Amino acid sequence: MRYDSITEAIGNTPLVRIDQDVHGLRNIDLYAKLEMLNPFGSLKDRPAWNMVRDRLAGAAARGETVVELSSGNTAKALALIAGMHGLPFKSVTNRMRVPEIKDLLLLLGARIEELPGQSECLDPTDTADPLTLFHQQLSAPGSTHLHTDQYFNPLNAQAHAEGTGPEIIADLDGRAPDWFIACVGTAGSSTGIARSLRAHDPAVRVVGLVGAKSDFIPGIRTADEVQEVGLFDPAVYDAIEAVTSDEALDGMLVLLRRCGMLSGPTGGAAYHGAVRHLRALDAELTERRTAVFVVCDRTEGYLGYVRQRRPELLGRPPVRNSADTVTDAELAAARSVEVPEARAWVESGRPLVVDLRGPFAYGALHIDGSVNIVDELFAELVRGGLPFSTSRPVLLACPIGEQSLRYAALLTRMGHPDVRSLAGGIVAWRDAGAPLVRD
Amino acid sequence: MSDAPLYLQPRLTAGPASLLRAGPFLHGLVDGLGSPLAVVLPEEIGRNAAQFAAVLRRHRLGGRIYFAHKATGSSALVRHLAATSACLDAASPEELQHALGAGFTGGRLMATGPKDPAFLWLAARTGTTVNADGPGELEQAARLVRAHGLPRLEVVLRLSGFEAAGARTLSRRSRFGTPAAALGPLLDLLEKHRDALEPVGVGYHLDTTSTDEKATALEGCIRAVDALRSRGFRPRAIDVGGGYGVSYLAHAAQWERYTTALTEAALGRRGPLAWGGYGYGLRVENGTLKGSLALYPAHRPAAGPAYLDELLSRPAPTLGRPLGTLLLESLCDVYAEPGRALADQCGLTLGRVLEVRTDTGGPPWVRLALNAGDVGLEDHGVLVDPVLVPRRSEPPPPDGPGAVGVHLMGNLCLEADLITRRTVFLPRLPDPGDLLAFPNTAGYCMDFTATRAQRQPTARKVAVREEEGVWRWCLDEQYWPVTEAGG
Repeated sequence: MRYDSITEAIGNTPLVRIDQDVHGLRNIDLYAKLEMLNPFGSLKDRPAWNMVRDRLAGAAARGETVVELSSGNTAKALALIAGMHGLPFKSVTNRMRVPEIKDLLLLLGARIEELPGQSECLDPTDTADPLTLFHQQLSAPGSTHLHTDQYFNPLNAQAHAEGTGPEIIADLDGRAPDWFIACVGTAGSSTGIARSLRAHDPAVRVVGLVGAKSDFIPGIRTADEVQEVGLFDPAVYDAIEAVTSDEALDGMLVLLRRCGMLSGPTGGAAYHGAVRHLRALDAELTERRTAVFVVCDRTEGYLGYVRQRRPELLGRPPVRNSADTVTDAELAAARSVEVPEARAWVESGRPLVVDLRGPFAYGALHIDGSVNIVDELFAELVRGGLPFSTSRPVLLACPIGEQSLRYAALLTRMGHPDVRSLAGGIVAWRDAGAPLVRD
Repeated sequence: MSDAPLYLQPRLTAGPASLLRAGPFLHGLVDGLGSPLAVVLPEEIGRNAAQFAAVLRRHRLGGRIYFAHKATGSSALVRHLAATSACLDAASPEELQHALGAGFTGGRLMATGPKDPAFLWLAARTGTTVNADGPGELEQAARLVRAHGLPRLEVVLRLSGFEAAGARTLSRRSRFGTPAAALGPLLDLLEKHRDALEPVGVGYHLDTTSTDEKATALEGCIRAVDALRSRGFRPRAIDVGGGYGVSYLAHAAQWERYTTALTEAALGRRGPLAWGGYGYGLRVENGTLKGSLALYPAHRPAAGPAYLDELLSRPAPTLGRPLGTLLLESLCDVYAEPGRALADQCGLTLGRVLEVRTDTGGPPWVRLALNAGDVGLEDHGVLVDPVLVPRRSEPPPPDGPGAVGVHLMGNLCLEADLITRRTVFLPRLPDPGDLLAFPNTAGYCMDFTATRAQRQPTARKVAVREEEGVWRWCLDEQYWPVTEAGG
């Protein structure tokens, strides 16, 4: 495989069978179309390239900026393509709820603009949808934008009608599958693939999956939101079914842990929706059938999303030297020092004063001569053992004396003979009129 | 398509729910005082203030909860709040006078909004903190303090236009505040007026339901406090403004079903849900849905105190630690200015049914002795069902066979005078003489938009309180937070 450009590596993705023991369907062969193996990591590589390839000539000379309303994969692919061709890229979005993708786009050099949230006091003049506002902005006179317009651009669906769909048919030995199951975002992949499969065999049944309302699965729109998409045509689908984010993550776990497929939540939603839809039909069948679903993108960008919804999946066992393990008895026995006594002690120069607050707050105001070890870092340090020599007394300070008392108890348990907590913390210190400095 | 009634049942806490069960009491009030009638429940506002204070305590933060007075015209609510530890923010000289007369003293008051010289003078004279909109206001305040020999005036600087690092969050342009980028000149000005003005904090006020922009603004304020300290000032608070929201509806599922139905109606896939096919901001072009719902998000997963909790728990966009932790570490108190959220569950508006017409060729018309100005729910984009308080029998169960969609007509001689444009589903067709109780109107939806148009009466206001299962009432202006026995 030798290419002159990375864009030549877009497409020709594998179609992989899911083991029957995993999905439990007796009469249906279920295949995953692994679109996450595209070079930029998702099925959006195809439409992104298809929407810009014929407009790149001279775009740099005309000073054009590539723009798209995208919260993720389309933006990622366009940012990379724009970069290769010397063009700036701007993504406007109101749906960027996956922080890793935001950071990745910034790393790729993209500019991101996020639309404001809904007004709390009703403004009756504010009824334009983000898409309309965005289109108004782009059609302003003198604008030099290369707007790919993925929600309305027929080249989006065409990329799948001429690429993804025919690939599936070729890999199934020239036959279309009996069912095709896809998540609906811009509707580009579901519409395009469905079109080419049906051209080959009109009997193909197409299931569109949308997000459950008031839920959020990256890259999928809810039943109401798909109506705002120009490419969306309800006639394409034999059935439209809703998937919850919980179900998407369940499906994702199956693909990750049992199928060796590094799928993101959207692929998980497609797998879950496919098995759920097919299970009822499977029992009625007397002959072999096939079904295909799409794995849109990879799992790595969604760790924050998983942490937010299923923290237990990323849970770690508690560690030995952790402030969480301090008992009430240890806490009661820990030593604390009231502000007047602490002032005299600090002035004597004997204790090492450790301020556990964040660096910004420490930098603004702190006890003269103190050391700043922010709590997160301090927790890491004590896991490995005592971070101070036992010959040096320590005074711990935090905002109000709670956290410092907990650490004083922990360090005492770990064998430090003289560690005390500043009672009432830096707040009490300030309230008593004791000096705080900026260096 | 199911034609089951699309209810939007109100979320009611114990107090207002009990009041709505006291049908004879409510009918007695309207018989005596006329329709429309506004009813406030002062004890609820105390409960709400305590819940906000508890959030600050949970985050170990000091601070003050300022009630945004502009949300209500009630004396009872303001006087009741004066008896708690809450504070109040006044947006006009009249509101400030009202609060002072209700028992608030200067140290618990803040002046916000556009200010004329009289407003500034009264604030400075009474020791009210001034939330200053910009350099012009600071100059004027300093002049007044010097000219009248007033004590040094505490000011909070309202900032706006915070820039986020990395991804740019676009904010709606605001009329208020000084751009954060122009803080330098503002500090020069304060140094010039050190003898007259004492900056005690900085703040923002953003009209948005999103915590994203607020997190950016709050972090910007933490940096601004640092800038003040580096000039030798001693700020102690950050004012995180208002906009905590109210969840008006009892069931998320009803809200979701209803807004989906609005989408379907706009697409022509089901019959209209509102008078004249009104779409509440949605429309269709070439088969694609356009526009956005011009509606208040009436069911909210986190509203009021829970929203404040969520904001304080969020990591700061660039400093990384939770905002509440940063505030605590930076030795900052929190000032919050809830209006609507503090008035949650504190009132309802009653209207008498005058006539029911079933010969309309569509949903029946129910004409009421009030108009849309008396119930500002629609004006604020809040969709919530009124509660039927029958004159005689008990109300039927909501799933009974008599459920019906109606249009609610007001008392003005005006084609457009509907209480709400939507078809409202009621458990049964009301009879003349029944009352409709519009729930949770105390914040912005009770007297904010009431007019004397066509010389129709505006609602009188009464304060009610339940004592040992018996509801008692007095006129709003007669209410003081003490018992008759003087306790």
